[in-house]
Amino acid sequence: MSNLHQEIKQMIIDALDLEDIEAAEIHDDEPLFVDGLGLDSIDALEIGLALQKHYGIKLKSDSEETRQHFASVNALAALIQSQSNNK
Amino acid sequence: MTNLVALSSWLVQAPDVPVALDEAGLISRSDIRNRVAYWCQRLPAAPGQRWAVYHQDTIEFLALSLALWQLGCTVCVPGDNRPVTNERLQRRVAGFAGQYPKSLVPYTERCLTTAKLLRWRPLPADFPALEIFTSGSTGEPKPILKTFAQIEDELEALERLWPEQKQAVVVTTVTHQHLYGLTFRLFWPLCRGQVFERSNCQFAEDIFTRAQQHSRFVLVSTPSHLSRLNPAFDWQSLQLCCEGVLSSAAPLQRADSLQVSELLQAPVREIYGSSETGAVAWRVQNSETEVRWQPLPGVGCTLTQDSTLQVSAPHVQCGRQVLSDRVELAQDGSFLLQGRTDRIAKIEGKRISLVEVERVAEQQRLIKTAKALVLHGRRTELAIVAELTPEGERYLKTEKKRALVHQLRQAFSQHFEPVALPRRWRFVERMPYNPQGKITVDSLQAMFQQDEIKWPRVVSQTRADQAIELTLKIPGQLIYFSGHFAGNPILPGIVQVHWAVHYGRELLGVKGEFCRLEATKFQQVIFPEAEVNLLLEYSKEKQKLTFQYVSEKGGHSSGRICFN
Repeated sequence: MSNLHQEIKQMIIDALDLEDIEAAEIHDDEPLFVDGLGLDSIDALEIGLALQKHYGIKLKSDSEETRQHFASVNALAALIQSQSNNK
Repeated sequence: MTNLVALSSWLVQAPDVPVALDEAGLISRSDIRNRVAYWCQRLPAAPGQRWAVYHQDTIEFLALSLALWQLGCTVCVPGDNRPVTNERLQRRVAGFAGQYPKSLVPYTERCLTTAKLLRWRPLPADFPALEIFTSGSTGEPKPILKTFAQIEDELEALERLWPEQKQAVVVTTVTHQHLYGLTFRLFWPLCRGQVFERSNCQFAEDIFTRAQQHSRFVLVSTPSHLSRLNPAFDWQSLQLCCEGVLSSAAPLQRADSLQVSELLQAPVREIYGSSETGAVAWRVQNSETEVRWQPLPGVGCTLTQDSTLQVSAPHVQCGRQVLSDRVELAQDGSFLLQGRTDRIAKIEGKRISLVEVERVAEQQRLIKTAKALVLHGRRTELAIVAELTPEGERYLKTEKKRALVHQLRQAFSQHFEPVALPRRWRFVERMPYNPQGKITVDSLQAMFQQDEIKWPRVVSQTRADQAIELTLKIPGQLIYFSGHFAGNPILPGIVQVHWAVHYGRELLGVKGEFCRLEATKFQQVIFPEAEVNLLLEYSKEKQKLTFQYVSEKGGHSSGRICFN
């Protein structure tokens, strides 16, 4: 597990104040919404805020693209990496 | 009278001005009429029937509704298309229209070769146009019928109060499939000729980029979004274009209201009401006092014997309704809200019956009895305390809590929207009955408070280059004290190391994975409620974090944590 992945998992747990789960229990490719971790639309808002706070990421308004970024920890990590490469 | 076009005769009377907007451009009255004509010929509907309509596209939803009304049918808006909802409706409706499984939809979609020209007819004011559902306190979703007259009277009241801002495009985070959105993001703009966006914004980013495209806009939203607007965006650039913000579904925290108003330099108007009553009151908060809710024009407010609010207005069900909110009512009819009297909770603006949650919980094979409650932590959320069946106990033992919660959430998601799913669960051997044989809300809440606390309170911090000193207050309710040790709680050494790593990563940029401890000593125990200083020093080259817990009693512990 890379540092970034670990960091993202901890960020999700902290931002959403999740209980009964440790970072290590979230799988990199597990869906975050609906199945898998079962997050909801308010959680998506919170993650959006946390991404901005921790990584300065602004989400694009194209919601299909955003949905893809929010698919899993892997997808979030890819988003963060691509945005930091662009800087 | 205002200049609103009546919803019942919109197809007949609406002037030929743009109605809505999407990425492709403006949507006109005739675009909508064409779509209505299409549906009038597609839907096998007969006068007097009730049809369920679900469609996420606001324009398609509107066209379906207008078509069904032309065909003499009542539009039933369930708000979602989950299997349980559909099953419940099957006995109630003659057909399903919109985004439903193929098996439910009694028509096929294909292009019409010959579009018949239709003559639109205005509909009678007392026609039962809409059926919506709300959570009743019995736990069963309760149907509420609205006539055109009721819908139109409500819109009249709103228009009399706020006749301005017609040129501003409606940008929204709210779905038209619940009453607030139906009224404020669809019917009101439609009938006053105000252009609205076809689809909803999901994130603050969406609101920001979409609003930028309009020379004037109003934002129709809810506390869920308004409390989470990211102040890091350049909202100032929108200030000249924003004419107002509307919020409903639940009261907005004063701080959130003031922040939004500051960011957008626009009034934040809140609407109070319910499914039974529609909108009945409004307020704009300020920083000085708790602002009272003012009744909408034509709405009368009185107090019941139980100190709850009774409203009377032409648009209210049966002309008069008692709400379940306790209020403090002034002579002029303005009021302050003082909490609900029933077991209905508002979760992110959604009305949830705790009775229904408990009933669904107790339908599960794994649960024997359940109590639902609302917690107000970082987020207002639903929690469940449950006694398990023997099968549930076995499941918990073998599969562990996370798997059990996952399975229960899956089952709940058949019945409830995602934001309304319980987020915290406690499985107990026996409910906390008091000596009177009752389960109090306090005793249930206590179960969640206990293990909330995993961190010390940081009283102060002083930092040097690669070092930092934190003053920490150790809360007595810390979860790590329970069982360590019974009757003689002390802070476990491993927790001290864990905190050191946490603050090292957070404040000193410690990287890498933990690999071992060096020269670790635990000299003096740390008790609950103690105040200690944590000294951290990080050597980037050696990838070692030195920690030391000290207090006026002297050293408590120290050591080096190595990373690779």
